Amino acid sequence: MLTLYRPGDGPWHRLTAGRKSAVLGLIVLGVSVVPASWWGAALTAGVCLACYAVRGAGMGALVRQGIAIRWILAVTLAGQLLFLGAETGVANTVRICAAVVISGLLALTTPVSELLEALERGLSPLARLRVDPQRAALTIAVTLSTLPVLVRLEREVREAQNARGGGRSLRLFAIPFLVVSLKHADALGDALTARGVR
Amino acid sequence: MNTVQVNNVQVEGETMIDDHRPRTWVLDATDIARVAVFVALMAALGLPGAFSVFGSVPITAQTFGVMLAGAILGPRLGALCMIVFLALVAVGLPLLAGGRGGVSWFVAPSAGYLFGWIAGALVVGLIVHASARKPAVWRIAIGMVVGGILVVYAVGIPVRSLIEGLSLGQIALLNLVFVPMDLVKAALATMTIATLLRAYPRAFRRTWLSPREPNPVSVTAAQ
Repeated sequence: MLTLYRPGDGPWHRLTAGRKSAVLGLIVLGVSVVPASWWGAALTAGVCLACYAVRGAGMGALVRQGIAIRWILAVTLAGQLLFLGAETGVANTVRICAAVVISGLLALTTPVSELLEALERGLSPLARLRVDPQRAALTIAVTLSTLPVLVRLEREVREAQNARGGGRSLRLFAIPFLVVSLKHADALGDALTARGVR
Repeated sequence: MNTVQVNNVQVEGETMIDDHRPRTWVLDATDIARVAVFVALMAALGLPGAFSVFGSVPITAQTFGVMLAGAILGPRLGALCMIVFLALVAVGLPLLAGGRGGVSWFVAPSAGYLFGWIAGALVVGLIVHASARKPAVWRIAIGMVVGGILVVYAVGIPVRSLIEGLSLGQIALLNLVFVPMDLVKAALATMTIATLLRAYPRAFRRTWLSPREPNPVSVTAAQ
C-alpha cells in the first residue's frame, strides 16, 4: 500500500519515532501559543519554513503538504475573515495550517512500520482496561491485510456497476459492496477460527 | 476439572435472542474479522474517484461508512472499528478521503469530527440495536440523524471552536454548510440498512424478533 513516507537521511529521518513525536509536539504546542498578530503569523510561518528547510524534508514536501491542506486553508480562512477580521483571521489561519503541516513531518519522515511498532508497544497499558493487548495487535494486523482486499472488492463492484450503466451512484453501489464485504468477513472469521483464534 | 465445568456453564448460559455474548466482552475471531473488514470498507469509501449523488454532486462517503458500521456491527464493534481506523490514520496510512492521513489531521480544525465518529458509530448502534425487534425504518432514520450527524457535530463543533478561536455559535453557523449533504447521507444509509435487513439479514449477526411475536421480557414480567 502507498504510504505518506518519503525515504531520506536528514535529521528528521534520523530521530526515533518517540523523540520525533515529542519534538514535533513541542513545536506545534509552541506555535499554538504565539499571539494572533501580524508578527506572530510571520514568526509561525518562519518556524514552519525552518522545519522543512533541512535535508530530507525540503521545500517540495512543504508545497505538497500545502496542496494537501488547501481545503482546510480555504474553509478556515473564510470563517476567520468573516468573524474576526484581517489580522487575527490571517494569524489564526497561519497558526492552524502551520500546526497541521509541521505535524505532517512525522508521517513524511517515519516509516509506517516503525510507527506501527510504537503503536503496538503503546497497547500494553490496555491490559489495565481489561483489553487483551495481543488481541488488539492481532486486530490491527488483520486489518492491515484486509485493506487491499476491500480495495479490490470495491473496484470489482464498481466495474460491475459501470458495465450495467450504473454510473457513480453511491445508492446503487452500497448494497452489493456491503454484501460482498460481509461475505468476505465471514470467510475471514472462519479462516481465523481455523487457525486457532477463538 | 472444576474450572472446565464452570466455563462450560457460562458458555451455555448465553441466550439466542438477546445480544448473545457473555458478560465480560471478549473479541472473538468473527468480531476481529468484521471490524477489520469495516475499517477497510471505510478506507475503500474514501478512495479517490469520489461518489456522487443526484448525478453530479461529488461527496466523500466516509461519514456514510460511520453510519453503516454502527448500524451493522452494533455499538461496541462499531465504535471499535472507528478507533482502529483512526489509529491507522494516526500512524500515517492515507486512509482518510482523498488519500489523506498522518497525525496532522488530529491537530487540524476537523479533528473533532474524526473523534466524533467513534461516539457517532456507538450511538447509531445503540439506537438501531435498541430492542430485540427488527428495527423499523423510522428507528434506523433516527439513529442515523442522531448518531451519524448530531453526535458527530456535538464532538466536532467544540473542538473546531477551540482550534479556530471562534465561539461555539459562530462555528455552528459555519457548520451549517455540511448539513444538507449529511442529511442526504443519512437518508442513503437508512435506505441501505432497511434494504440490507431484508436482502441479507445475516449481516447483522443476530436473531431479531418478528414484529408480531410478543416481547419475551414483557411476557416474563406479566408472569
